[in-house]
Amino acid sequence: MSAARLVWLPPLAISAVLVLYPLALVLATPLAAPGGFAVLGSSLFLGALVRTVWIALCSTAGCLVLGFTLAVLIGFVPFRGAALAARLVDSIIALPTFLVALAFTFVYGAAGLLNGTLLALSEAGPHALPPVDFLYSQWGVVLAEVTVYTPFVLRPLLAAFAQLEPAQIEIAGSLGARPWRIVRRIVLPAALPALLAGGSLCLLLTVNEFGIVFFIGAKGVITLPLLVYDKAIQEFDYPAACAIAGVNLALSLALFATYRALLRIGTRGSGGRG
Amino acid sequence: MLLWSAAARSTAWTVLGLLLLLVYGVPLGLILLASLTGQWNGVLPSHMTLSHLAGTLRAEPAAQLRASVLTGLAASLAALAFGTWAALALRRVRGGARRWLELVFFLPSALPSISVGLGLLVAFSRPPLLLNGTVWIVLAAHFVMVSAFAYGMVAAGLAQLPAELEQIAESLGAGPLYRLRRITLPLLAPQLLAAFSLGFALSMGELGATVMVYPPSWVTLPVGIFGLSDRGAVFDAAALTVLLAAGTVAVLAGAARLQRLAGGK
Amino acid sequence: MTRPADAAGASYAGGIAMTGVTVRYRGTVALDAFCLEVAAGSIMALIGPSGCGKTTALRAVAGFVRPDAGRIAIAGRDVTGLPPAARDIGMVVQSYALFPHMSVVENVAFGLRARGQPGPAVRARVAECLALVGMDGFADRLPRQLSGGQQQRVAIARALAIRPQVLLLDEPLSALDAPIRRAMLDELAALHRDLPGLTVLYVTHDQGEALTLASRIAILCGGRKLAEGPSQALYRRPPNRFAAEFLGQANLLEVAVEGRVLGGMATVRLGDTRLKVPDADIAGARALLCLRPHDITLADASAACSAACNLLPAELRMVHWQGERHLLELCVAGQTLRVSLPPLRMPPAPGTSLALRFAPDDATLLPHEPG
Repeated sequence: MSAARLVWLPPLAISAVLVLYPLALVLATPLAAPGGFAVLGSSLFLGALVRTVWIALCSTAGCLVLGFTLAVLIGFVPFRGAALAARLVDSIIALPTFLVALAFTFVYGAAGLLNGTLLALSEAGPHALPPVDFLYSQWGVVLAEVTVYTPFVLRPLLAAFAQLEPAQIEIAGSLGARPWRIVRRIVLPAALPALLAGGSLCLLLTVNEFGIVFFIGAKGVITLPLLVYDKAIQEFDYPAACAIAGVNLALSLALFATYRALLRIGTRGSGGRG
Repeated sequence: MLLWSAAARSTAWTVLGLLLLLVYGVPLGLILLASLTGQWNGVLPSHMTLSHLAGTLRAEPAAQLRASVLTGLAASLAALAFGTWAALALRRVRGGARRWLELVFFLPSALPSISVGLGLLVAFSRPPLLLNGTVWIVLAAHFVMVSAFAYGMVAAGLAQLPAELEQIAESLGAGPLYRLRRITLPLLAPQLLAAFSLGFALSMGELGATVMVYPPSWVTLPVGIFGLSDRGAVFDAAALTVLLAAGTVAVLAGAARLQRLAGGK
Repeated sequence: MTRPADAAGASYAGGIAMTGVTVRYRGTVALDAFCLEVAAGSIMALIGPSGCGKTTALRAVAGFVRPDAGRIAIAGRDVTGLPPAARDIGMVVQSYALFPHMSVVENVAFGLRARGQPGPAVRARVAECLALVGMDGFADRLPRQLSGGQQQRVAIARALAIRPQVLLLDEPLSALDAPIRRAMLDELAALHRDLPGLTVLYVTHDQGEALTLASRIAILCGGRKLAEGPSQALYRRPPNRFAAEFLGQANLLEVAVEGRVLGGMATVRLGDTRLKVPDADIAGARALLCLRPHDITLADASAACSAACNLLPAELRMVHWQGERHLLELCVAGQTLRVSLPPLRMPPAPGTSLALRFAPDDATLLPHEPG
C-alpha cells in the first residue's frame, strides 16, 4: 500500500535530476563566482532585456490581431475547406521555428523576392526604388514570430467560437446589428478568455524564442537567449551566461504563472462539469 | 454566419485568402522553391535543379538526419513513458502536493530552450554525472524539451476518461495492473500516439537546447541546417529544411491516420 | 421470450445491512447515520430528490465511498473495509459504462477473466448471461453499435456474470426514452423472477419505477431516511408529508382532530364538515389529511352520508381535461383540493357546488407540518 502511495516518486526524481538540479545550478553559479552578477549592469545586457521584452510585446500584439482576424473569418464566414485551412495553420506549431526565419531570407532578404522585384522595377522605371532591409532589424524578427506563433492564438479562439451559440449571432443580426457591431459586442467578449490565454502564451514563447533570432542573425538584434548563447558558447563565460539566464528564467516563470492563472479563469468562465 | 450579402462574403474570403497566402503561402512556397533553385539573381530563380535535394543524401546530411531521427525516437519514447507514468501517478495525489507536482512536470514547457541547455551543460560537466561531450546530454536535453508536452497530453486524455469505467472494472475484480493494461491504456491509446508523434516532431526541430550541448560526433539536422545557412549555402539549407518539414508532417499525418483507423470510422 | 433459469441461482443468497453509515464530503454530510436492511432476494428501491444521498448510499455498499462511520454487511459478512472486488456485488450505472474498446462478449467476460477463470468456463458463463438478458445475437458488436436499451442489457449481463450476491443499480433507466424505459422495467422484473435469490438495491429519482419494481422503498432526503416500508403500504399510508408528496400526487388538507372513536377511527373537522378517518398516533389537535386525487369521486348532492363513506361539500374552481382523465380543482373550506376522475361526459361548470365522496380507509392522517 505504501509503495503504491509513492508511485509519483520516480517521475519526480527524473524531473529533479534533469530539470530542477540544472536550474538550481544556473541560479547558483553566478553566486559562487566573484562579480558573477556584474554582467547584469552592462549596457549589453540591459539593451538585450529591453529588446527582448519589446520584440515579445510587438510579436504578441501582432499574433493577437492576426489570430483574431483569421479566427473571425474562418469561424464566422464559413467556406468549404475552412477546417482544412485551420488544420494547415495549426500544423505550423509542430514545425521548427527557424523554418520561417530561413524562408524569410528568400522573401525579404537582400537577394529575395521582394528586393529582386524592387531592383527590377528600378531598372525598368524612371525612379530608383531603395532596397528594403527590414529583415535584418528587429521588425524582421517580429514578423517571423508573428507568423510562427499566431496559431497559438488561432487555436483557442476557434475552440471558443465553436462554443458560441450560432443563434446569438443570427439573432443579433436579425435585430439589425451590423457585422462590426456583432464582432465588437458579442464575438470579442466571448473571445476574451482565449485571447488573454493565447496572448500570454505567445508572450512566454516569444520571450524564450531562440531559433528565429539565431537564424536571421541580424547584427544589432540581440535578445536574452541569444546573449546567453554568446556568453556560454562563444566566450565560455558561464557565470555571466547563468546570471542572464536567471533573469530570462524569472521572466519566463512570471509569464508562465500568468498564463496558468488566465487559463484557470478562462475554463472557470466557460463553466466546468458539475 | 456574420455576413449575409454575397458581395460582403466574397470580400471576406478574398481578404482571408490574401492573408493566408501572404503570411504562410509565400514563405513556405519560396523555401520549397529555394530548395530546387540553381541560381537566383533576379525576381525569381533563373534555373531549377534537383541537386540540393539530392545533396541531402550525401554522407554528412544523412548522418545528421540519422542523429535527429534516433534522438527524436529515443527522447519522445522516454518522454511518453515519463509523461504517462507521471499523469497516472498524479491521479492518486490530492491537494497541494498535486498542484506542486503538476507544476514541476509542466515546468519545462515554460523554460527557454537555451536555459535548459545551459543548465544541463553546467550540471553534467562536473561530477557526479559527467555527460558533457556524449550523446546522452543531447538525449537529456530533448527529453526535457518534450516531456512536458507528453505529460500534458496524457493528463488531458486521462481527465476525459469517465471514472466509472475503472470503477466498474474494479468492482468486477480487476486489480490495478489488469485495469491499467486492459482498460486505461487502451482507452488512452489516441493520446499516447498523439503525444509520441508531437514529441517526435518537436524533437526533430529542436535547436536552442541542442546548440548548447551537442558534441561534434552527434550533430542533429537543425544544427546542420544552421551551419549551412551560416556558410551561405542557403539553397542546401532550404533543401534540408524542406526534407525535415516533410518528414515531420508525414509522421504527424501518419499518426493521425492511424488514430482514425483505430477509431474504426 | 423464454429465459433459461440461471444454473447458479442458488448462490444468490445475501442481504444487505447498513448500520449507522455516515459519509462526509468536504464538510457536508452526504449520508447521516443511515440504516437500511435489504432482505436476501428482495428488491429495495432508494428514492429521493437529487442530492438526497441515495447514490452515496449505493456507492458505499459498492465500496467506492468509504464511510466515515458505521458498518456495511453483505450476506452477513462485514465488508466495510473491503475493496469493491471482494464484496460480491455487480453494479450497473446510469451511463452503463461499457468498455468502449471491447465487444459485447469481452465486456461480459471481463470480470471472469480478471478473476482468472479458465477459458471454457468463461465462454459458457458469458453465453448463459447473454441469453439471460436476450442479447445472445449481439456477441461481437461494439458498444457504440448498440441502442441504449441493448447497452443496458449488456451492462446487466456483465454485472451478473461474476455471480454476485447483490446487484446494485444506479439510475439504470434514466438515460432511456420513455417507451423503452417501460419495457426495460418489465424486463428487470422478469429477470428478478428468473433469479429469485438475487438481492437488488435500486436507486432512482422516479417514484413510478420504484413502485413498479421494488417490494420495499426507502425515501431519503438530506442524507437521512424519511420513510421506509413495503411499496404499497408506503403509498397508501405515507408516514409524513414528504413521503406522501414524493410518492405521487397528494392532497394535504389541514384538519382539526376532534376525538377518537372505537375501531381505530378518529373524527376530524374540515371547515363545518366532520369526517371519519383511520386514527394515527398524532400529538396535538391539528393534523394533515392525505387524500390521493384518484381516491375521491363525485357524489349525488342528495346522497346521505352512510357509515361507509365521507361526504365533503366543495366548490368547483377549474376543470382541466387531460385526455385520459379529467382533473378538477375545487375549494373546500378555503383549501384547494384536486380530484382526478375518468373522463366526464358533461363536466360541471366552474362555480358549481359539488359533493365529494371518499372511503375512510383511503384517507391518512399525518402529523401537522407546514408545507
